[in-house]
Amino acid sequence: MSQDFIIECENVKFSYAGSQAYALNGVSLKVKRGEFLSVIGHNGSGKSTFARLLNGLLEADEGKITVLGLDVSDSKNVVEIRKHVGIVFQNPDNQMVASIVEDDIAFGPENIGVEREEIGRRIDWALKAVGMEKYRESTPTRLSGGQKQRIAVAGVLAIKPDVLILDESTAMLDPKGRREVIEVVKRLNKEEGMTIILITHFMEEALLADRAIVMNRGEIAIEGTPEEIFESGEILETYNLSLPRISILSQKLRGAGMRIDNVLQPEKLANQIVANMQNKGIYGGQSSKPDKIAINEQGEWDIDVKDLVFTYSKKSPFATKALNGINLHISEGEFFGIIGHTGSGKSTLVQHFNALIKLPQAEKKYKAKKPKKGQLNPVISSIFVGQFDLGNKKCDWRALRSQVGMVFQYPEYQLFAESVFADVAFGLKNFKKDISAEELEQAVRESIEVVGLDYNEIKDKSPFDLSGGQKRRVAIAGVIVTKPHILILDEPAAGLDPKGKNEIMELLHKLHREWCKTVIIVSHDMDEVAENCTKAAVISNGSVFACDAPYKIFARSSELNALGLDVPLTSKIAAQLETQGYIIESDCTLSDFAEKVIEVYSGGKTNAQ
Amino acid sequence: MLNDVTFGQFYPAKSVVHRLDPRIKLLSLIAIIVLLFVANNFYSLALCAVIIFSAIIASQVPFKSVLRSVKAIIFILIFTAILNIFFHRGEHVFFEYGVIHITLEGIIFTVFLICRLFFLVMASSVLTLTTTPVALTDGIESLLKPLTLIKFPVHVLALIMSIALRFIPTLIDETNRIISAQKARGADFESGNIFKRIAAIVPILIPLLISAFRRADELGDAMDARCYTDSKKRTKYKKLKFGLRDLFTFFIFAAFIAGVVLFNIYCYDICPQIYEYIKVY
Repeated sequence: MSQDFIIECENVKFSYAGSQAYALNGVSLKVKRGEFLSVIGHNGSGKSTFARLLNGLLEADEGKITVLGLDVSDSKNVVEIRKHVGIVFQNPDNQMVASIVEDDIAFGPENIGVEREEIGRRIDWALKAVGMEKYRESTPTRLSGGQKQRIAVAGVLAIKPDVLILDESTAMLDPKGRREVIEVVKRLNKEEGMTIILITHFMEEALLADRAIVMNRGEIAIEGTPEEIFESGEILETYNLSLPRISILSQKLRGAGMRIDNVLQPEKLANQIVANMQNKGIYGGQSSKPDKIAINEQGEWDIDVKDLVFTYSKKSPFATKALNGINLHISEGEFFGIIGHTGSGKSTLVQHFNALIKLPQAEKKYKAKKPKKGQLNPVISSIFVGQFDLGNKKCDWRALRSQVGMVFQYPEYQLFAESVFADVAFGLKNFKKDISAEELEQAVRESIEVVGLDYNEIKDKSPFDLSGGQKRRVAIAGVIVTKPHILILDEPAAGLDPKGKNEIMELLHKLHREWCKTVIIVSHDMDEVAENCTKAAVISNGSVFACDAPYKIFARSSELNALGLDVPLTSKIAAQLETQGYIIESDCTLSDFAEKVIEVYSGGKTNAQ
Repeated sequence: MLNDVTFGQFYPAKSVVHRLDPRIKLLSLIAIIVLLFVANNFYSLALCAVIIFSAIIASQVPFKSVLRSVKAIIFILIFTAILNIFFHRGEHVFFEYGVIHITLEGIIFTVFLICRLFFLVMASSVLTLTTTPVALTDGIESLLKPLTLIKFPVHVLALIMSIALRFIPTLIDETNRIISAQKARGADFESGNIFKRIAAIVPILIPLLISAFRRADELGDAMDARCYTDSKKRTKYKKLKFGLRDLFTFFIFAAFIAGVVLFNIYCYDICPQIYEYIKVY
């Protein structure tokens, strides 16, 4: 053994009980002290299994793993090894044991018998390392995803490990939370010299490391520096991975003859574009305007919201205002995006659309209050969805809900029936009690097929035996089976790998074309909204900040940043280029933006179409 | 359905009672409960009332919140009251018909019983309103410490309580989400007969159970990864501090206990005197 290598693996093989295939099939790897290593791979490539083997949560079938010279397979070493190798898992909620932040962080040190005063010092240090000093006495449930995950990191840091493994710890977070966690990890590596193993399916994260490994089917497919991984380009697609958006953009620009190196920061790409322009003698310029998107006329199934107010836990000391006077109109036929960060009230808002949250005047017990003398009449919220008046007690809620489908976040977690058929049929049977068996089968077949699954193969399977992506599709099928006019999805792509994300968005476009008139997605991913939506609304602090075509919204990038919201990659680069005198007006999608840049680069409007 | 379940009863404020050591609060509650049932005359009971009401005032919790918990047992109160008034036997009979007797002893016993139950619920709600569930479990753990001598796994129990507390809000959120999701698919939880309603719970229960197991699995891994073992060498970071105000409370309660005991000895049965008094009229 040598002191340089903190972890050494030799031809490690592992298979799960009851499975023939190896989840890991001969992995050999050495990790240097102080190294920042990233492991990339699609879901099921064996990367999480690998993490669990490194600290003895799983035991290898073959091969040898040593950590600091200690053999992991020796059960006497396990606790000692876990002191040196800490893991942060995917779901921050499921790794905390206490309801107070400091108690939770104390859990690890308590387990290994650290003295009381020292635990106090370690809590101080760990919270400082993750930038959460202010939250020492908070309750984790009231924190955002990114904050919770930083607390989970602190909980592992307090054990003072030499190696920190992040097992897809950013997969469930919003872009802001992801950045927060990655910042912390980078700092720990640089300032504390901690060895980091970052397991992820986001290329842009993986490429921050000193060295990256691409895993596929339990084997190391590519190993090298981030630059080398970049170069491999199209091979990555065969491993179900995709290049970061910025690299795709760079490729497009290179295709037009620009000299662009692979970079990850939008500013650097913008600088390269500027350099290219100036080399060609183009100083300043303006692209053509984006095509006007047809404005939808008043349709039959418009959603109209006026002065919507909503308070959680009313009349308790914990009352919090979620919505503060929302005015919004969503026309029929839109692919509508609702943007806002966690806690902005966007989920609360959409739950009003199918009366999961009823307006107060629609509740059975509601009695109109007479305003006191000298007071104005209180503002009454109103919502209309097509012909349905959601403020009316006599509104037919059942009919409304069959026309406004709602897919919640992680919809696969609400599957319950013994077969896929029964689960998909559940909604339809609820809405149409007297439906005939043939009609039911017909509808279920159609909806399973439209989400891209094979009806005959899947209908009798238990939904719990399916893969993650299939489960999500079945859950969506279970909502669209009633053929709703309006389909609402809360974070439809949450937790998926990039390929899964693209597939789900493609599915939604297909549904928008063939199945439902209006599709509404709630999202915190600006790129997702820019690429897909025809119109979007930004919700901030319980009110509508803007409602317009995405490119018009993202043109106000400084205002959005002030609200703590991000803008898509294209807007970032466009803003940077504008300071140099190049005005690129695209509709914010990657392909349109690339076209417009190339248009300016090739000297104004060249295409004579 | 679960919208109104705010987790725990805790009423945030910064009163003296809020800041007391949870252990002294727990012990005081036990003392009050014992004394309420030991008290055999009106003076003792009045003393208990004085202590409870001063605690409520000192806690700065609105009286309404305290009464809300009494509301929950009002039915039991009325029921026991009726039972006792009509069926309690005694020598000073006012009214008699078949098995029904109304006696002076019966009335006095009933008044006592109601006061006891009433005060008991109020006293316990003062504890839960002023103490966070976390502080309560810390207090219970600390009070149970001596049981480690007979090899009772106190820290395991404490960890179980802590994890339960930690996951209650998470699981309530999850339940709400599943209910909403199934409602959006037309599930109906509010109408139909009892069998239909029970059947309607299945689509909530199964996903919830599956998710709870999944969480338990992941939590187990996370705890293992953070070096959790059943070793005896475990240390404890949090220490409850017994301060001056706790000592002060301790003395008040000592005086209170002494008071009730003294009243019990010197002012015992006042029932006959009342009867004499009524007879005069």
